[in-house]
Amino acid sequence: MGLDLKMPILVVDDYQTMVRIIRNLLKQLGFEDVDDANDGTAALAKLKEKKYGLVISDWNMEPMTGYELLRHVRSDENLRVTPFIMVTAESKTENVIAAKKAGVNNYIVKPFNAQTLKSKIEAVCGA
Amino acid sequence: MARAATSAAIRKTSTEARPRRRNEESGEAEPQVDIRMIAHELTRVADYISRLKNEIGALRANELYRDRLPGAHDELGNVVNATASATNSIMEAAEEILGYDDADLETYRTRVQTRVMDIFEACSFQDITGQRISKVVEHLAAVEKRLSHFASAVNARDADLPPDPEEARRQTRKEVFLLNGPSSDGVSQNDIDALFD
Repeated sequence: MGLDLKMPILVVDDYQTMVRIIRNLLKQLGFEDVDDANDGTAALAKLKEKKYGLVISDWNMEPMTGYELLRHVRSDENLRVTPFIMVTAESKTENVIAAKKAGVNNYIVKPFNAQTLKSKIEAVCGA
Repeated sequence: MARAATSAAIRKTSTEARPRRRNEESGEAEPQVDIRMIAHELTRVADYISRLKNEIGALRANELYRDRLPGAHDELGNVVNATASATNSIMEAAEEILGYDDADLETYRTRVQTRVMDIFEACSFQDITGQRISKVVEHLAAVEKRLSHFASAVNARDADLPPDPEEARRQTRKEVFLLNGPSSDGVSQNDIDALFD
């Protein structure tokens, strides 16, 4: 499946080790333009400054959660079509359903492997 | 001590009350006071207070507050730091390995082996953190045992008090934004995928 390896990706997580893991996985997949933010508020600011081809976000962050970030993105005229993958330890069915209703494109439960991340990115961003 | 003082007070009250009681028996329109019943009730109250004081003493709240809880807090803080440090070392080594030039295979092999040994060394954190977590479990078990004994001994019931504002804010946030945290009975990735198919 044809992925645009030049597309900018924003990784949002308050746990720096997880940011580093995702960055490394994305690098192995060939993505070079990767930025990060440590919560929804910082992510929203970055999303308004630069056009991203994909947002990969954690759920549980302070002060703005990934779920709130998703709702902000989907209600913003300029951001609403940005692909959004939730990567989280929140694995209750209610979380998955709420995220789906809010417009998430895919959902990955931590811990995950490179293959899962790759297949979800392909499903969401593949040509 | 409390019981002795109360008993002395009861004896004094009984002595003072006797003449008035005789007056009452002679027809004055004062209410009847059953001194024996009051004495009995006061003795029970004194017993209860005395037992409560013993139970509060057995709780050793100062030791819990000064040693046990800060001890658990420190151990957990050390576990978090040790885990973060080990993770950092392992990731640094792995990132370096990924970046090595493999043009000269012998050099490549030597460098990879050196960094793999660093990874093994960093993994030894698990032994130390395991011991630290065992100490935390021990501290918490002591707190639980004493609180449970105290609650049972004094027949404690939780007061219906207004919640702490910070706790209330946290709870509301948890409910509104579905902050359930990692769950052992959550759905699997396959179940989630099925919802997105």
